[in-house]
Amino acid sequence: MKRRTFAFHAVAGTLSVLWLLPIALVLLTAIRTFDDIAGNGLGALPDSFSLDSFGEAWNAGGQSQAMLNSLLVTVPTVLLSLALAAAAAFALSRYDIPFRRAIILLMLAGNLLPPQILLVPVAKLCELLGIYDTLPALIVVQVGFGLGFYTFVLQGFMRAIPDEIQQAATIDGAGPVTIFWRIILPMTRPALAALSALAFTWVFNDLLWAITVLRTGTVMPVTPALLGLQGQYVSNWNVIAAGSVIAAIPTVAVFLRFQRHFISGLAIGAVK
Amino acid sequence: MATLTASPTVAPPPNRARRRQRRRVPPVLLAFLLVPIAVEAFWVFWPALQGFWLSLTNWDGVSAPGFVGLGNFGELFGDPIFRSSALNTMIWLLLFGGLSAIGGLGLALLLQREGRGVGFYRAALFTPVVFSLVATSLIWQALYQPDGLLNKVLGGLGLESWQHAWLADPDTALYAVLVPALWRQVGYVMVLYLAGLKGIDPTLFEAAKIDGAGRWQQFRFVTWPQLRSVNSVVLSVIVIDSLRSFDVVWAMTKGGPYHSSELLSTYMYSTAFQSLRLGYASALAVVIFVLAFGVIVAYLVRAFREDDS
Amino acid sequence: MSIGRRRFLRNVGLAGLGAVGAGPLLNACATSTSTGAVTQTGGAVTVQSNLSAPAAKTAIEALVKGFNDRKGATASVNTVASETFRTQLPSYLTSANPPDTYTWYPGSLLSGYAEKGLLLDVGDVWQTMGNYSDAFRTLSGDGRGKQIFVPTTYYWWGMFYRKSKFAEWGVTPPRNWTEFLALCKTLQGKGIAPIGLGAGGNTPWIASGWFDYLDIRINGAPFHRDLLAGRKRFDDPKVKNVFATWKEALPYFDPNGTAVAFQDATTSLLQGNTGMLLIGAFFADSAPKDILGDVDFFQFPIIDPAVPVAEEGPTDGFFASARTPRRAQVSEFFKYVATAAGQELYIENSTGTVLPTNPDAKDSGTELVTKGRKLLQDAKELTQFFNRDSSDALQPTADAALVRFIQSPNEIDSILTDWQSAAEKIWNA
Repeated sequence: MKRRTFAFHAVAGTLSVLWLLPIALVLLTAIRTFDDIAGNGLGALPDSFSLDSFGEAWNAGGQSQAMLNSLLVTVPTVLLSLALAAAAAFALSRYDIPFRRAIILLMLAGNLLPPQILLVPVAKLCELLGIYDTLPALIVVQVGFGLGFYTFVLQGFMRAIPDEIQQAATIDGAGPVTIFWRIILPMTRPALAALSALAFTWVFNDLLWAITVLRTGTVMPVTPALLGLQGQYVSNWNVIAAGSVIAAIPTVAVFLRFQRHFISGLAIGAVK
Repeated sequence: MATLTASPTVAPPPNRARRRQRRRVPPVLLAFLLVPIAVEAFWVFWPALQGFWLSLTNWDGVSAPGFVGLGNFGELFGDPIFRSSALNTMIWLLLFGGLSAIGGLGLALLLQREGRGVGFYRAALFTPVVFSLVATSLIWQALYQPDGLLNKVLGGLGLESWQHAWLADPDTALYAVLVPALWRQVGYVMVLYLAGLKGIDPTLFEAAKIDGAGRWQQFRFVTWPQLRSVNSVVLSVIVIDSLRSFDVVWAMTKGGPYHSSELLSTYMYSTAFQSLRLGYASALAVVIFVLAFGVIVAYLVRAFREDDS
Repeated sequence: MSIGRRRFLRNVGLAGLGAVGAGPLLNACATSTSTGAVTQTGGAVTVQSNLSAPAAKTAIEALVKGFNDRKGATASVNTVASETFRTQLPSYLTSANPPDTYTWYPGSLLSGYAEKGLLLDVGDVWQTMGNYSDAFRTLSGDGRGKQIFVPTTYYWWGMFYRKSKFAEWGVTPPRNWTEFLALCKTLQGKGIAPIGLGAGGNTPWIASGWFDYLDIRINGAPFHRDLLAGRKRFDDPKVKNVFATWKEALPYFDPNGTAVAFQDATTSLLQGNTGMLLIGAFFADSAPKDILGDVDFFQFPIIDPAVPVAEEGPTDGFFASARTPRRAQVSEFFKYVATAAGQELYIENSTGTVLPTNPDAKDSGTELVTKGRKLLQDAKELTQFFNRDSSDALQPTADAALVRFIQSPNEIDSILTDWQSAAEKIWNA
């Protein structure tokens, strides 16, 4: 038994180290000075040590404001899109709505479009509504764009829930809202947790929608702000690396936090 | 009571199944359904229709568009860059899609149980998914440089003949970009499979073990069938992501050197925002959409139909 | 379920027809640009800036602060990433309330926008710019008599090298092409890659510097401008001649030249792995401070003494949207940035490697900058750089063609044919 655990840790550990290697290199870049990178190259071993780039990214680089913007956009987006998607998925997977499969496919089709093609029409739409260059615009655009996919995933998970539970609840007199809130939703928790972590990541790291819908530097979220640290010809890689490390903290934290829900005991197993 | 989840071998009695399908739909459900659809329709379908319309025009982003009918599509099929990028996209779909599915599933199987440090391993594999591409693409480019880490390692192992200018050599560029793309994708697929694996009733495994099934048989007869709905999700995800794969390729090579790592998505982007031919780019987007839709619909329709029976 | 599916497909078909029929309506939505007279309000002039490098950002913020300190009109600067700015520029200009002013460079892109009536006529600002050279005046016009651009800074291109390394290797800067090739041969004999290039990664456009210079040295600036404006063909024998000459120097190029980006090529040069780099003056921004004093450049060698000497002198400045509600304030701002005081303020706060366009303004005074200024002043003609003289849309075609040439020089005929057909697609769009 101990040998198997050792083998497991060896394999998993090696994989993790390999996977984290590029990230470690980013960290290394972040603690070097610009002159060091310019003089010795990006691939060379560090010849300097400085934490200034973190401070520079945070203040002059506008990371502090950008992080706030990102959070202001990401949290409402994730909550709103998962709520709407769960509602739609519930209706589509637990009830016999006519054309439900066509509807699922149609909603998913919305995600099959390359987003680049929607950029210009969406920008014009935002202008028409007068919300261009505001964070709420980014929120609604992100929600709209993610809905199809989240609905699709959630209905896949919800479909697997046995029918008997719902029937029992209906017999007890529960209406659809109660069934949704008290029964189906808790049983979809692992899927919701996984999707929340993913959705948080996507919205937080999004670039294209942000630069399409926003124009002013002070409302830009983190990823375009990072891009903004690049110059026309010359870039301060150490500052950009430091900025990336700072930007990654919320998303990694969210993942670590939600990971527990994957392992929480499932109600499905408790049907016995 | 162990066979609660839909098992392919036990068919419910026909009458009861039919009656189950005919439940009346409570009206509040319409709200559940119509609000999300309305949101998506407004923000996605409406711009998409405009995008489709644009594919029938030539537009440079500034002046009024001119209608050209199917001219863009005609040009598309005679465009050598389109053909090579379509081929690259197919290769990408197979390699990126296939490897991320296998890798994700393998990792999920490896890391599904609880134990000390498993949370750390999972986070390690997921970190590339969350890390900003601006910085990581830079590091990968540095790794791939002729005097970068990869060539140094190969040299150290005595494999000098395998050294290449990975991103500058048209023969290796596409495959070289595949590695960081997979690096960023596998953690994500792993998360999807983890959620699916958690949904498998553990009593099924117990029953299988009692029947004397070994690990591989457990996987084949319990795990794999139970993952069916997750698989349809994962497949859709993979097709969507492969066909929309843009960030990594664009950040690493911009489709170069001279279009050797050009995918349909990067070609579309460069046509739209570098060449400023938005009509042609929209036509490319329509092609990407049709491809993705075709693949997914074919699979899903079959999967849905299987579920019915 | 088959009936349901049939009906669904029919509905989809109808929706599709409806979409096409609703075409003009959709047309109006996505591609609309507002027209009509704009009421003049007041307020701060918005400056949309793509100068995202830390030094340049400081400089433009200082410039705007200098403007605001005059207690006249006010301005505020909004900086976005360079690449973002470029892709969003059409969007900015056609939006319902566009930013008032923009940093950018003159060239075919601007003329294109001027043709569509999107740019403000800044002739009144040029009335105060009498001391500017004719070259700048022509550059800032739209080709039909209107001035649409206000140049503020420009810089030069040259063959940069490290003085100490040249001394170490016992070589001196060459004066013509023959001496240049001899120099390369000497350096190669010492185990150094004589010519560095940073045309890999995200900076393939570096290779265009070589094409531009060889073309203006061999065929002259007027031919070069015609070629880049689409009036000559890329499969012209004169163009092929450019590549024949380039082939003479190809053996001396860094074999990794197309695999590394510009900043890494800079590092290579500074470490002494390569000998020289044909690059713009912004090169100095990527060098560590302590080495800067060791950096020098020489003029791209003369190939044909009969051709009037031309140099690349990319110019940067400002233009404004025609639909700005603050015309008077924009005018005031532009007049300020065109003055010597404004430009000196900008240069003081930047890295100091740019030159002011106002002949009365002082530059940062270093040896390098003085030499660069003289280089440009002595030139008979000034070109801008490939993407500025032609268009940003044509640049990727050049990148593909030139990188391919450097890697496979014997395919020159098919390269030029492909380049011409790709260029035609851009010109005919």
